[in-house]
Amino acid sequence: MPIQRISYSWLKKLIPLAIEDKEVERTLSRSGVEVADMRRLGAQFEGIVVGDVRAKSKHPKADRLSVCMVFDGEKEFQVVCGAPNVEMGQRVAFAKVGASVPRNQHDPHGSPFVLGAAVIRGVQSEGMICSGYELGISDDADGIFVLSQDALPGTPFALYLGMDDTIFELEITANRGDWMSHLGVARELAAALDMKAALPSVAVREGSAPAKTLASVTIKDPEKCPRYVARIITGVKVASSPEWMQKALEAVNVRPINNIVDVTNYVLMETGQPLHAFDLERLSGKAIVVRTAGADSTFTTLDGKERKLEPDMLMICDDEKSVAIAGVMGGLNSEITPETTNVLLESAFFLPTSIRRTSKKLGLSTDASQRFERGCDIEMASSAADRAAALIAELAGGTVAKGAIDIYPGKMSPRRISLRPSRVNRVLGTSLSNREVAGLLKRLEIAVGDKAKDEIVATVPSYRNDLVSEIDLIEEIARLFGYDNIEPKPSTSLVMLPDEKTERFAKYLRELMSGWGFNEMMSVSLTDEKGSAYRNPGTAIALMNPLGKESAYLRPTLLYGALNSVKLNFARSVKDLRFFEIGNIFYRVSGNDELAFQDVREEERLLVLITGRNLPEGYGNPSRPADMFDIKGVVEALLAKVCLDKYRFIYYDSKNSLNRTRVDIEIQGQSAGYFGSVEKEICERFDINENVFACEISLEALHRAWSPTIRFSEPSSFPPVTRDLAFIVQQNITNDAVVAAMKKTGIATLESVTLFDIFAGEKIGAGKKNMAYSLRFRSNERTLTDTEVDGLIERIVRSVQTECGAELRTF
Amino acid sequence: MKLTESIDLLKRDFEAELSSCADEKTLDAIRVKYLARNGQVAVLFEKLKDAPRDEKPHIGRLLNELRNDITSRFDDVKQRLVAARQGEQTDIDVTLPGRSVLAGTLHPVTQTIDEIVRIFTRLGFNVATGPELEDDFHNFSALNFPPDHPSRDMQDTFFVNDNLLLRTHTSPVQIRYMMKHDPPVRIVAPGRVFRNEAVSARSHMQFHQVEGLYVDNGVSFADLKGILVHFAKEMYGSNVRFKFIPSFFPFTEPSAEMYISCFICEQKGCRLCKHTGWLEILGSGMVHPNVLTNVGYDSEKFTGYAFGIGIERTALLKYGINDIRMYFENDVRFLRQF
Repeated sequence: MPIQRISYSWLKKLIPLAIEDKEVERTLSRSGVEVADMRRLGAQFEGIVVGDVRAKSKHPKADRLSVCMVFDGEKEFQVVCGAPNVEMGQRVAFAKVGASVPRNQHDPHGSPFVLGAAVIRGVQSEGMICSGYELGISDDADGIFVLSQDALPGTPFALYLGMDDTIFELEITANRGDWMSHLGVARELAAALDMKAALPSVAVREGSAPAKTLASVTIKDPEKCPRYVARIITGVKVASSPEWMQKALEAVNVRPINNIVDVTNYVLMETGQPLHAFDLERLSGKAIVVRTAGADSTFTTLDGKERKLEPDMLMICDDEKSVAIAGVMGGLNSEITPETTNVLLESAFFLPTSIRRTSKKLGLSTDASQRFERGCDIEMASSAADRAAALIAELAGGTVAKGAIDIYPGKMSPRRISLRPSRVNRVLGTSLSNREVAGLLKRLEIAVGDKAKDEIVATVPSYRNDLVSEIDLIEEIARLFGYDNIEPKPSTSLVMLPDEKTERFAKYLRELMSGWGFNEMMSVSLTDEKGSAYRNPGTAIALMNPLGKESAYLRPTLLYGALNSVKLNFARSVKDLRFFEIGNIFYRVSGNDELAFQDVREEERLLVLITGRNLPEGYGNPSRPADMFDIKGVVEALLAKVCLDKYRFIYYDSKNSLNRTRVDIEIQGQSAGYFGSVEKEICERFDINENVFACEISLEALHRAWSPTIRFSEPSSFPPVTRDLAFIVQQNITNDAVVAAMKKTGIATLESVTLFDIFAGEKIGAGKKNMAYSLRFRSNERTLTDTEVDGLIERIVRSVQTECGAELRTF
Repeated sequence: MKLTESIDLLKRDFEAELSSCADEKTLDAIRVKYLARNGQVAVLFEKLKDAPRDEKPHIGRLLNELRNDITSRFDDVKQRLVAARQGEQTDIDVTLPGRSVLAGTLHPVTQTIDEIVRIFTRLGFNVATGPELEDDFHNFSALNFPPDHPSRDMQDTFFVNDNLLLRTHTSPVQIRYMMKHDPPVRIVAPGRVFRNEAVSARSHMQFHQVEGLYVDNGVSFADLKGILVHFAKEMYGSNVRFKFIPSFFPFTEPSAEMYISCFICEQKGCRLCKHTGWLEILGSGMVHPNVLTNVGYDSEKFTGYAFGIGIERTALLKYGINDIRMYFENDVRFLRQF
C-alpha cells in the first residue's frame, strides 16, 4: 500500500483545525484512514532553545574554556563553554539541564545523552551551548552553531528551524486515491468534525497574449484522456524555490529541484492533481498531441532510463516525438532546465486502468501514476492548473498567458445515486431517520434531495470516484455515524447444516497420528526445480513470478519438505524424529481427469516419517535404530483402523521381483501411496546420512475407504487353544506367502497367526530358514477340543507344505 | 511302613526343607514336590485305597490335616518371603526416570484453527474448504476486484499462468460455497493462503486463515458485531474490550477491522500492541452486493457478513511466537511444546 505523508501545519492551511496532532490522528483512525506513524518533527530538540550570550569571561582555571551568561528569554544561566568561536551577543542553540542532546561529541557512536548540571574545573555550568554536530544538523564539532541575529531568545530551537510540525504517515487503501493529498485528508477531517475544508483562493494575474496563440493541444484518444488542461507561462527564471516551499516539500519527502518543478509537486501534494511542466521551446510545433505509442518502441524518461513501449500505452507527444509517458513520467527531451524561459503546464485526467497497465508493464510506479490509477478529480484539473500557474508567476516571475487551453471531450454530469434509508437500516442494523441519513451525507459534501418517502437522491462530488452505488453510500453513513455506535446484536436464526465429512476425517487422522507419538509438521507448499522433478517430466507446475529459485514450483510431494525439516533438525543435533504432515501436493495431468482443475490435480496427502531411534534413549528404555518395520507397523495400524481390509501391499515390481526398499499401497484396488526407506541419493541431497523411513498416502483414497460407523462383534467367551508351528523353507519364501497358505485353508476358528521367530544356520541347512509361528484357535460357539485342533493343524501344515515347499520342523 | 508313619515322615521332611528355604524359587520347588498333582501328598492319598477298611476314615482325616497343614505352612513362608522381597525394594531410587511414552503433538496452526472453528461450529457454522490453486474468477473477479484496479495490488500474488494462481485469501471459498448452496449459508473455511512476499520474521510466502460467511434474510452489521464480539470474548477472555475501525476490502462494504484491548499490558502499552493498547485481530464487513450478484443470489433480498482471521497472527497472540518462520521450519523442539 502506498504511504502518503501529510503535514499537520499544511493541513491547517486548508481547514481551521483547533485540535492537536494527537486528536487528528485519532479522528483519522476512526474514519478508517490508517495512520501508520505519527512523527513530531524536531522532537529531538526538546529542551533546546534560542539563547542570547549576554556575557563572556575567561575560565579562572582553564585557558581554553570560557564562562558565559546565556539568556533563555526568562533568565540567565552560567555556562562553561569550550568552543573557540563563542562570542558575546551571539544567538546560540542553548540546551538546558534535562534536555536530551541529539549527539554526544565524546561518544564514538554519537549517541544522544541527557544533559545534567555539572561543575567544570570548579565552575558551575547549567546547560550547554551546542555545536552543529551535537544538534545532528552538521558534522562541525569544533565550534558552536551560531544562529541568525534576529532569532528571539527563548524560541524553541525546532521552531527556529521551522520544524514545529507533525508528519502523519497514512497507508492509502486502493479505493481512496483522494486521500493522497492534503486537501483530501482535510476533507475527511471536515466530514468527521463537521467543518469545511477549502483550497486557498487563487487569483491568476494573466497577460494579454491568449494561450491558444502560443501552443496547441490535440487529444487523439479521448477515451484514455477525457481532459487535458494546459497553461502557458512565459519569461520565467528557473532558480531554487524559496525556503518555505523547500521545507514544505521536504516534510512530505519530496526532493526540491527548482521553482518550476517544485510548484508542480507542491500543488500535487496539496490537491492530489499530478502536473507536469514542459519546456515549451523544446516542444516541436509548440504542440501537445495525446495519443497511444503505436509504432514508437522506446522512450527515455527523465530519470535517464530507456523504457520499452507497447503500442497501446498512452503518450504525450509534440508534432514530431513523444515527450512524456502520460500519467507516469515525463521525458528527458522536454524537461525544465536552468535555461528554460517558457513553460507549458499540463494538468490532465487519464483513464485509471490505462495508467495502471502502463505502470505495471514498465515496472514504474510514480507519485503521478499512483494517483491516476486510483482516479483523480477530473474537475480539479483546471483549478490545479490555475493554482500552479499563479504560484509559478509568483516564484519564478514571468507572465501567465491569457486563459487555459482546456480540451474536455469526456465531460460528464455529476454522478447521482439513489439511496433508500430503509436499506441503510437493514444493512447496518440501525434505526436512522431520513433526516439523519441526509445530514451525514451532507458532511461529505454530498448534495441530497428527497425524491420519494424512502428515496434520497445523492449527488456525489467529482473527487469521490469510489462512490458508485447505494452500498458505497451506506458505508459512508456507517463510517460517519461511527462503527462503535452500532449496537452489537446476537444472531438467532438456525441453519440446518450438512455434515462435512472431509474435515472430520482429516481431524481423525491427526488424532490417530499424534496419539501414536508423531509430531505434526507443516512445510512450505513451494519447492525448487529439483523438488519439482519428483514426478514424471511434464507434470511439474512452475510459478510465473516466483520469489526466488528455491520456491519456484508447487510441491509434487510432501517428502522433500519433510526431508528439509529433517535436515534442519539434524543440523541442530536433534536426531530422533517422528513427523507427520497433512497437506496438498500439485501435479499436471492430461486428458479428462475429473478431479483436476484446469489440468492440475491438487491432492491432499498424509506423510509419515521416522528416523533415528524408535524410542527416546534413556535409562531403562531399551531403544534401537528405527527400521522399515517401524514405518510398516504404523501404516498397518492406520490402514487397519481406517480401511479395515480394503487395502493391500504391493511387494513386487512389474518384473515380479521383491522390492526391498519400497512397498506400494493399494486401497480398494487403486494405487494410493507407498511406504519404505528413502533412497540414499535423495537423503544425500538433504545432507542426511541416516536411514529415513517414510510413507505417503492419498487422503482421498483413505477417505473413500473409511467406514466411520463401527459394527460391534461380540468377543467369544470360550477359551482359545494355542499351538506353535515351525517350518523350514527356502530363503526366498516370504512371511506373506506362509501366512497366505495358512489362511487359504479357510479355517474360521483360526483367530490369529503370530510370527515369533526366524533364524537360519548350519542346523537348518544352506539357503534355508526356520520360521516359527504361534497359532491361536477359538470358536464363538463352544470350547474346541484337542483332537479337533489337531485336525486343523494338520490341514494347515499340509497347505504350507504344498504352497511353500515347507517342511515341518519337529521339536 | 505303615501309612501313618509315612505321614509323619513326610511332615518332618517338609518342615526341614521349609525351614531351610530362603527364596521364592526354592519355595516353588517345594510346592511342586509336595503339593503338585503328582506330588508326595497326592502319592499318599493314592495309597489310601490300599489301607485296611476300618482305618480308612482315620487315615483319611490324617491325610486331610496333613494337606491343610502343609498348605497353610507353605502360605505362611510364601507371605514372609514376598514381604521380605518387597522390603528389599524400599531402598529403590524412585527419582529414576519413568519409562518413556511416545507423545505426539498437533501443530500450533492446527490447534489454533481447531479452537476458532470450534467456537463457530457451536454457533451453527458449517466447515467448508476449497482448493489452494485457484483461478482469477474465484480469487478476484467474483470478489469484486475489478481488472486493472489498484485493489489487486493489496495482495501480492503467485501466478501459475494468467488465470491460475495460488489463492491469496480463503475468501474464494465463499464464492465456491455460495455457488453450490442456496441461502441461508453459514460457514467457516480454514486453509492455507499465499502471498508473493519476501520471507522474514514478520511475513511469509504462506500462512493460514479462517474465513467466515453468513448470508441470510436480514443479516446486518449489528449481527456481524454481535458474532465477532462473542468470538473475541470466547477466544481472548470475557474482559476484553473491542473497537471496530473502518477499512477497505473490495468484497465487503462497509468493511471493518476489529481490535481488542491488549491483554498483555492491560492497555498500558507494550511491544505486542506497539504501545497503542489495541491489537488488530481480524478483518470483516458486510458482503458487497456485487459479490452476492456474482454468485446468483438476490442481493436485494439477502444480506450477509464475512470475516477473515489470520491464524499465525492469532497464534502469535495466544502463544507468543514472534517469528512466523518457526511455523514452517519444524524444529521438533518447537513442535513438542504444543
